[in-house]
Amino acid sequence: MAPSPTPAPAGFSRRALLASSVGLALLAAGCTAGSSGAGVGTEEADRLAEQVAVQEAVVAAYALATTADPALALSDLAAQATEQLERLRAAAPSPGTPSAAASTAGAAPPSPPPGADVRTWLREQVAVAAEAHARAAVAQTGARAALLGSIAAGLRGHEAALA
Amino acid sequence: MADDGVLDEGTETAALRDVLAAEHAAVWGYGTVGAALPPESRASAVAAEIAHRDVRDRLVALLDARGAEPVPREAGYTLPFPVLSPVDAATLAVVLEEGVSAAWAGLLDRAVEPAVRELAVGELGAAEVRAVGWRRAAGRIPVTDAFPGLPEG
Repeated sequence: MAPSPTPAPAGFSRRALLASSVGLALLAAGCTAGSSGAGVGTEEADRLAEQVAVQEAVVAAYALATTADPALALSDLAAQATEQLERLRAAAPSPGTPSAAASTAGAAPPSPPPGADVRTWLREQVAVAAEAHARAAVAQTGARAALLGSIAAGLRGHEAALA
Repeated sequence: MADDGVLDEGTETAALRDVLAAEHAAVWGYGTVGAALPPESRASAVAAEIAHRDVRDRLVALLDARGAEPVPREAGYTLPFPVLSPVDAATLAVVLEEGVSAAWAGLLDRAVEPAVRELAVGELGAAEVRAVGWRRAAGRIPVTDAFPGLPEG
């Protein structure tokens, strides 16, 4: 949507995020957005590792739901969840050394209870993860906040698609 | 992010103004969306327009409170394509929601106040939920976006 005859508002193209994408690139390389050259602090690294674990649980939930009810046709959503996990792993500075809290936070969810509606169960797992990512986004800054907030929003979209 | 990579109230205010500009355009655009839908299908467009008006007003108040001049709505906007059918309308609504999503994600990138990030993450999620409905109405597959608001690639 462009005002006429002036150029489109910044919010209507993705130009406004060029700076952000640069930040994400730095983040993938292990640098802290907003403090070039500095490493991510231990607390921030733990928070990112926690969110990697949360997203691992989402990916596991999609696999369990697909096994429990193959007719749900979850391949697109499952692929997006995996893509989100890969982006988070790339952003996390020390993916091999998550804190104890992170390790427990990402435990694979139990299978859907027998007789339960699998879609509803999966939607609940996704909702929990979306909320966790949203809280983490508020606690982060810069490119990390943008990435976590975007993934939280993406999972809100999954909730809507599963409704 | 500021050119020097430092986040401060200035970067946050600039990003808030970008979001407000996008919300102005969304409010305007939903008038076109609603007009191209049959009466029985307009409820979603009306609800979305109200949501964008509400957040627009909240942004104006936020900018006023910090002594920053709110971005005014443009005198006119150009549609990105002709809107001649309900599918066109749904496609335009997707453009509107993805536009505001980019602005909200930009605010997350440049904000310094947790309360501002909380607002941004909430509205980014709300925009994506609306976008899912419009993508479905437009016949787009998939109906979801893995990274709402972020640059592709």
